[in-house]
Amino acid sequence: MGGNIIVTGVTSGIGLGLSTALLEKDCTILGIGRDISKLQRQINLESNKQFFFESFDLSDLGGIEELINNFISAHGKIDGFVHCAGIEETIPLSMYKVDKVRRIYEINVFAAIELLRIVSKKKNSNDGASFIFLSSVMGALGQSGKVGYCSTKAAILGMVKASAIELAKRKIRVNAVLPGIVTTPLTEKLFSELSEENISRIKDMHPLGIGEVGDITPVITFLLSNQSRWITGQSLTVDGGYSIQ
Amino acid sequence: MKISDFIHGLAEELEIESRLTANTNIKDLDEWDSLQAMVLISYVSEYFGVSLTGSDIHEITTIESLITKIGPERFEQE
Repeated sequence: MGGNIIVTGVTSGIGLGLSTALLEKDCTILGIGRDISKLQRQINLESNKQFFFESFDLSDLGGIEELINNFISAHGKIDGFVHCAGIEETIPLSMYKVDKVRRIYEINVFAAIELLRIVSKKKNSNDGASFIFLSSVMGALGQSGKVGYCSTKAAILGMVKASAIELAKRKIRVNAVLPGIVTTPLTEKLFSELSEENISRIKDMHPLGIGEVGDITPVITFLLSNQSRWITGQSLTVDGGYSIQ
Repeated sequence: MKISDFIHGLAEELEIESRLTANTNIKDLDEWDSLQAMVLISYVSEYFGVSLTGSDIHEITTIESLITKIGPERFEQE
């Protein structure tokens, strides 16, 4: 496949699994994340000449453009962008004050739009590029305590559709992937807050069981590849059947 | 935060109509359910930075046992 790909949320979970898969497909990657120590256990950064890590907090919206420009100056225009970074939190509505709402929107929505705005510029991306945003099955469904998470992930779906139309003239495709629960540090944290009974109930709600990172990454690499060249503006649910019941 | 303020604030967040004391078993309250458990977890996390787990919630009975779980040393003297 090859090409220059930007991946956010690269230090763990789907972002990490995807980066490993893309390196095997000869891609050059700008990996954006916060904690390099987690990454170093998985990818030998010094020996891998096609992986470039930038430690960056995406809530610093004003610094994103410089970060992207530096990579493009050194390696050329972008062929793909995958936004995996995001925060998940369970906060009941009665305690969801505006400062908390603003924080989750900064990472899950505003950073996504700012990244898209920058990478989609003609000077920054090649025609035919593919951009993929990790939404969640919660972007289409609801759950107690998830007003912030569900609404930010739903916002991604609207952003994807509108931008897909806007960028189609350059054959740039924009799609969303809506994963169900897969085993990642994010879900391990979620499960630690739940009782055994609730965990068991959640597992029972997935006809094909809880997923693995490797169940999601092939879908993303397909959407990045030319094989999906006629797919844009779509919300692709990959959830082991969770949402069909 | 003083224990009395903690109990008062918790009663407000849980919207408990009866009087809440250190000896109240929160699971005996009419209002108690899984959503209230979520409010409790968020309240404790917000004010003490303590993340209660599912098994913590399972073990907690009275407000006093909740205070023990949070750590009595985290509260100010009355």
